[in-house]
Amino acid sequence: MKLNVDGLLVYFPYDYIYPEQFSYMLELKRALDAKGHCLLEMPSGTGKTTTLLSLIVAYMKAHPLDLTKLVYCSRTVPELEKVMEELRKLMNYYEKEMGMEQNILGLALSSRKNLCIHPSVSKEREGKVVDGRCYSLTASFVRARHAADDAVPICEFYEGFDAHGKEFPLPPGVYNLDDLKEYGQTKRWCPYFLARHTITHANIVVYSYHYLLDPKIAEVVSKEISKSSVVVFDEAHNIDNVCIDSMSVKITKRLLDKCSNSITILETTISKMKENDSKRLEKEYKRLVEGLRDATIARETDMALVNPVLPSEILEEAVPGTIRTAEHFVAFLKRVVEYIKTRLRVQHVVQESPAGFLRDIHTKVCIDRKPLRFTAERLASLIRTLEISDLTDFSPLVTVSHFATLVSTYTKGFTIIIEPFEDRAPTVSNPILYFSCLDSSIAIKPVFNRFQTVVITSGTLSPLDMYPKILDFHPVIMTSFTMTLARQCILPMIVSKGNDQVAMSSRYETREDTAVIRNYGNLLVEIAAAVPDGIVCFFTSYLYLETIVSSWYDQGIIDQLQRHKLLFIETQDAAETSLALINYIKACDNGRGAVLLSVARGKVSEGIDFDHHLGRAVLMFGIPYVYTQSRILRARLEYLRDQFQIRENDFLTFDAMRHAAQCLGRCMRGKTDYGIMVLADKRFSRADKRSKLPKWIQEHLKDTNCNLSTEECVQICKRWLRQMAQPFSREDQLGISLLTLEQLQSEEMQKKIQQRAQGV
Amino acid sequence: MDDYQTCPKCKTTKYRNPAMVLMVNACGHALCESCVELLFAKGSGACPECKCPLRRNNFRVQLFEDPAVDKEVDIRKRILKEFNKRQEDFPSLREYNDYLEEVETIIFNLVYDIDPTNTNKMIDNYKKENKDITQKNRNRQSQEEMELEVLLEAEKAQQSEKANLYVNAELEEKKQKHKAREKLIDELMFSDADAKSIVASHVQATAALAKEQPKAAAQLSSGVVKSSKFSSGVQIGLRGQHTNSFLPIPKQEDLPLYRYTAPVFDYDGPPPPPIEKLGKLNYFANIRAANITERAGGYTEAMSCCRALQEALGGLFYSPQLTHKAAVLATNASTPDTDDMETT
Repeated sequence: MKLNVDGLLVYFPYDYIYPEQFSYMLELKRALDAKGHCLLEMPSGTGKTTTLLSLIVAYMKAHPLDLTKLVYCSRTVPELEKVMEELRKLMNYYEKEMGMEQNILGLALSSRKNLCIHPSVSKEREGKVVDGRCYSLTASFVRARHAADDAVPICEFYEGFDAHGKEFPLPPGVYNLDDLKEYGQTKRWCPYFLARHTITHANIVVYSYHYLLDPKIAEVVSKEISKSSVVVFDEAHNIDNVCIDSMSVKITKRLLDKCSNSITILETTISKMKENDSKRLEKEYKRLVEGLRDATIARETDMALVNPVLPSEILEEAVPGTIRTAEHFVAFLKRVVEYIKTRLRVQHVVQESPAGFLRDIHTKVCIDRKPLRFTAERLASLIRTLEISDLTDFSPLVTVSHFATLVSTYTKGFTIIIEPFEDRAPTVSNPILYFSCLDSSIAIKPVFNRFQTVVITSGTLSPLDMYPKILDFHPVIMTSFTMTLARQCILPMIVSKGNDQVAMSSRYETREDTAVIRNYGNLLVEIAAAVPDGIVCFFTSYLYLETIVSSWYDQGIIDQLQRHKLLFIETQDAAETSLALINYIKACDNGRGAVLLSVARGKVSEGIDFDHHLGRAVLMFGIPYVYTQSRILRARLEYLRDQFQIRENDFLTFDAMRHAAQCLGRCMRGKTDYGIMVLADKRFSRADKRSKLPKWIQEHLKDTNCNLSTEECVQICKRWLRQMAQPFSREDQLGISLLTLEQLQSEEMQKKIQQRAQGV
Repeated sequence: MDDYQTCPKCKTTKYRNPAMVLMVNACGHALCESCVELLFAKGSGACPECKCPLRRNNFRVQLFEDPAVDKEVDIRKRILKEFNKRQEDFPSLREYNDYLEEVETIIFNLVYDIDPTNTNKMIDNYKKENKDITQKNRNRQSQEEMELEVLLEAEKAQQSEKANLYVNAELEEKKQKHKAREKLIDELMFSDADAKSIVASHVQATAALAKEQPKAAAQLSSGVVKSSKFSSGVQIGLRGQHTNSFLPIPKQEDLPLYRYTAPVFDYDGPPPPPIEKLGKLNYFANIRAANITERAGGYTEAMSCCRALQEALGGLFYSPQLTHKAAVLATNASTPDTDDMETT
């Protein structure tokens, strides 16, 4: 249908629209008009993706000069494919309505692993190996060698792309990963480089967060995206952690040992090259003396090694004299590695600021700050000069060089923690150095500065005012939308006590209590008896899950449970978990019913949907706080408190509640769906926790349902399930939660939407 | 996985003897502590590997896994004591870098025994030439070191200060909460007033307290010096630019919405014809038509015409029986009106 959103003609590819979708468009349009950033929360299953796409495409068509490109960042490949499907639907609709080909090019970009069509390289399973082998076939010096000697293997697809692909741009259309591969196969062009080349002139680019947030990748891939783009981060409730991870480094003992090996390889290669072909080293040396950048010579295939710091922090200066010649630099690297090794030989935990580290490295091994800042760049230059084609062996050394550059560049917002052993196994020596970023705003700041509009959206962003604080930006619009529902199809309940009136809580003091564990078990058994099909349970950690299951086994609860439903358990092993999931789905599909025990923050809680019969009930056993004794977390909390005035407890609760909300949201994937949400912990009923749940859940969480016992909870479930079991058709929804064009345009509905847009 | 440290002489490993400590001397070859005692009982002797004459006093505990690094660091420290020129001592960065490389070459040569005679000569030459600078630089810190020192100092100060502040604040808060609760219970027990009203007033009081707390936290933070720059001079976040950061307030449902009400004019005259009908009533015949540039700016002749009519007709029914003041005001207001009319 064609909509009029605040004066903008929007083509919407469906015949019906949810009222909140329309409000979402209104808010989004305002943000685009204002050229500011925005933060939008809308429940999952209400069609965020298609709403975003149809509005932004319409805006691009109406104001081609103000808005040139949409960069859509998603988390996983399946999500990426979903976005492409929606986009295809939208473009088909445009074509049908306007009767001609649309001049819009949309494409998805993923790693080489997902896009490679080289017959042997694409067989590799690990992403890093694919990258390394690709590099060994496409690096400029390999190709130069091939020109001299035909026996040197190269990638014919890249050659094809290099010879012809650059002149012929990709015809307009929508390309997902498979389309790109197919197109590459028919043309004999490399789809990966084709996609990367096309990014500069495509209208819509869909890729992973890391291509924008990780400075190592962003520099290579996303450098040439213009300012007049809109960037969308979907499912962005974890965006602060992504930012932090992209700037953090973890160094173990084994990694350092591997580094020593790589250094020896470097040494031998240098001496060999000195004998055979000293000219090349001399050339590099001269270039470094002149202080020339590599940028002029660097080619797209060579950029496998890049600087880990943000572009604005890179020193525009010549490489210092101490590491100018290759031998000196290798000796320098050796010293750095040896120094870190001595640091790892500690008996107790050390926490240090980057400044302290720099001073210590200066006194112990006489390394100044400046050469340290150039480590990453110098190593990249050296490896390129030495024409080392197999990069996979060097990744440990590259990690250390990144660490060196980062630690000497940023003295604020980072911390170094050296742990001699893991907390769980204090007798096993396993020293690890964590260089941890504490400030999530550092990595994302260039994104906010560079693009005119950044949209952060997810189903669970509550409490909204936390994100601007921790990401340090100033949104022009910050709104949470609720779901308009024709019937009350979610039933959130807080169960605080068992039938024996013992309070249920995963508090540290009571979590081992048999009474609590038994009450949790009874709750699950009774709900399993009352609720049809699939039930998903979330625990606070793997450890807690295991202890609970073992005591349930002793208490006979597992037996009782299996009388009603089959039982599946998520483990830390990915293959095992996916097998459990497949069988869980099978058991739900054939009507046997099943219970899945999984862990908040685990794989299941983040991206697997349990729609309709796969998840009729979600149980959250306890509040999923992070492991608060972790030193990295402690350091981050302290930093947040000092820099942003966020109290420790506020942040911990915020983090726990966003994960709880993520888990609860798993069972609601649309308006025809329905599901029970049980929060089994006494502490959930406190105002500070409750108020941090997303609005669309809070709305349905009545005061009467906030302090229930197991029995009461089951009674309410039964009554509610009977209501939900009544036939529910589209006609019931029409006019309330689902609108046709006429209904949308009716005066009454417009008034309501206006109210919602202002009042929500 | 771990290949344990081994003494090259007696082949003891760290695994078999955890108390074993490896020592190194100037030549960079390691020996375990007991071997050192055995071989160098006289106080001096030759290194068992390179036959280099060594003194027992110069043996130190090996810090690094690779004894060569120990040796290098040793030499480096010695050399850098002499070669301590700063970037400030050179006219350009390029020359400073050349100097750095030269130093690096000297160290490298010494470590790997390349061309020892020439290298030593170079060192001696340098020592002679640069005596003053070396002496001078020895006593002052380089800029970089100073920067680090300042940073560390600030960190330390901040830490101790903050820790105290926050701990106190939290304690205070707890105390207050406790007090409030006690007070409520006391009042409920001994006061004759309605229990409901007591509870209500208590709730109000706690809410007021809760409101105050963020302020207190802000005060706390403002008391501590906040550094807003990386050491490279780059600002952290946007806070540097706006001291009080702007955040849109999350919209709330219960606020009364703004409602537009059309203003009421006290016209005091016959109603002028509406603006849409002016054309039909042939008013434009007496007016200059708007030209293209004026139209592009959004101006139409109807506007000025309408305005002139309103001004002409407004106040026609005005009677001077009102108070004197109002009359004066009215005349004052009407004089410019007439002027306007003439011009149009």
